[in-house]
Amino acid sequence: MILGLLFALPFVAYLAWLVWALVAYPVPLSYNLRSLWQRKLSSASTAAAIALVVGIFVVVLSLAQGLSQAFVSSGRADQAIVLRPNARFELNSSIERDRMRILKVHPLLKRDGNGPIASAEVVVVKLFPMADGTDTNVTVRGLETAGIAMRPQVRLLQGRWFRPGLSEVVVPRKMQGRFAGMEMGQRLRMGGRDWQIVGTFDAGGASYESEVWSDANDVMQAFRRETYSSMLARLDNPQRLETFTQAVDEDKRLKLEVVGETAYFKELTKAGDPIKILGNLITLILTGAAIFAAMNTMYAAVAGRTKEIGTLRALGFRQREILASFQWESIFLCVTGGIVGSGLALFANGIQTGTTSFETFSDVSFAFTITPGLMAQGVAFSLVMGLLGGFLPAWRASRIPLTEAMKGG
Amino acid sequence: MNTDRFDLGGGEPIITLRDIAKSYWREELEIPVLQGIDLEIPAGAYIALMGPSGSGKTTLLNLLAGIDRPTGGSLEVCGHELNDLDDDQLAAWRNAHVGFIFQNYNLVPVLNAFENVELPLLITGAGRGERRDRVDQVLQLVNLTDQMFNYPRQLSGGQEQRVAIARAIVTDPDLLVADEPTGALDAKNAEEVLALMERLNRELGKTIVMVTHDPKAAHHARHQIHLEKGVLDRTVEVNR
Repeated sequence: MILGLLFALPFVAYLAWLVWALVAYPVPLSYNLRSLWQRKLSSASTAAAIALVVGIFVVVLSLAQGLSQAFVSSGRADQAIVLRPNARFELNSSIERDRMRILKVHPLLKRDGNGPIASAEVVVVKLFPMADGTDTNVTVRGLETAGIAMRPQVRLLQGRWFRPGLSEVVVPRKMQGRFAGMEMGQRLRMGGRDWQIVGTFDAGGASYESEVWSDANDVMQAFRRETYSSMLARLDNPQRLETFTQAVDEDKRLKLEVVGETAYFKELTKAGDPIKILGNLITLILTGAAIFAAMNTMYAAVAGRTKEIGTLRALGFRQREILASFQWESIFLCVTGGIVGSGLALFANGIQTGTTSFETFSDVSFAFTITPGLMAQGVAFSLVMGLLGGFLPAWRASRIPLTEAMKGG
Repeated sequence: MNTDRFDLGGGEPIITLRDIAKSYWREELEIPVLQGIDLEIPAGAYIALMGPSGSGKTTLLNLLAGIDRPTGGSLEVCGHELNDLDDDQLAAWRNAHVGFIFQNYNLVPVLNAFENVELPLLITGAGRGERRDRVDQVLQLVNLTDQMFNYPRQLSGGQEQRVAIARAIVTDPDLLVADEPTGALDAKNAEEVLALMERLNRELGKTIVMVTHDPKAAHHARHQIHLEKGVLDRTVEVNR
């Protein structure tokens, strides 16, 4: 963090000086803008290169954003997930039936007319065929009826919810297009049984949109599981989370661990790390190329305008004014590309895709989410490219000996 | 025509050169361009600097316009010892005291005539209205008011040079330096430009130092200074 700040500080200070120079120094901006326009072809090709890089940068960020949204919007501050100690994720956890019975009557759980609000759940991973012919792991969640109501972001879109004992499933609408055989009324083969699809649901972008849901007992029987994976528990208020955590931790009969639902899903966002790393690597390589393109364009601009620079210096413009002028020209060039690139990235907005989580070894469906914030980051990124790519040519422009510049280089 | 060595008439000197020397270095080799130049140019003079190629005319012009620095001697122009000024001060001094007229006009191609003429005023901090008035005034003087929104590519060579002259005088400098101002013009346009410069000297009292190869152009000046191999050779007063 401190290293990042130290790295950013010179940029910020230099940018602040440039902004001040824009007001205080008199080389007109129209000079730079028209000069860019005059060299349409080279300006356009450089801006296009920058646009491409910024477009990729924004799309990569939007992948991470989409993943984060999938997980972060899944959790509630007043709910907790109970797991086996050190399991970290539901898939690695197991809770025996007798412990689950003790847990479900815990006095700190919120209650309604039907008793404590909690859902004993089981999570298994099953290989499903995708629409493109490949197979991928999908999380199958067995849950109790209360578990549906505890996830208010989940809405039934079509059909009805599964009924216990009938081997029925409901599937997320967003999986239907990506996976084969997931239409209403079709049957899924898993755990040696056929499961009828009786409904489709939507979870407002949450990670449940990557799960097939059924009754907990049906799933346990089919997959020969003796234990649950977890329990989702609702507390009276978020402040009770710590008390509940402590109470469960100290209960010798349970030997279980409580994790806040929000924190749990935050941990799951690490599923996006490989994509982010790959995306950042690609962006880094392309950024180098784009900065080089901007630098090349600006060097050519300086070389072609040494006489102009000399004239400006002769008229009384100082070296730092020439530096600021050419630096702004580079920034305009790159930021134009950045705006175009951020705009182009909008075409990816909403496109559904998925990745395999290395935490749960199953598919995570999510949508590219291009937000105004991400687009602004793309433009800021292009600004940095303009600063880096333009600095050396602008410096050179400001340091050309006046007599050389007067001769035209 | 009278021939008096370095006598440019009376009046307060606007330019005083004492033992000016200028050398360039090519690796270890020193190449002297100017040596032992002593010269006083009075305010309101109109000088043609003449001499063969390589005699140091443009170098001398660059020195007294504050574009280059001497390797020896002192150089007082418009009341300032130029050796004492740093680069920023020199830039401000050029803006305030010197107007430049170049052989190839050196207009900025992406700015129109008005904007080109306005450029030196942007440094002075003059307000928009004042700048507009000044630019209008000088464009009127060079008779180009109707071309003020044309870009250099839309102007003839003569018109471009007149825009350049307007730019040179817009800050009302004491000294105009011109490097082959008619070198790229046909005879008719050259004559118009020279007539304009003569007017600036006669009517506005501008001191003009002009480098030229052209005897016809030099004839418009009041004095001709001849350089030969980096030293002052002779001064000629022009009788018109």
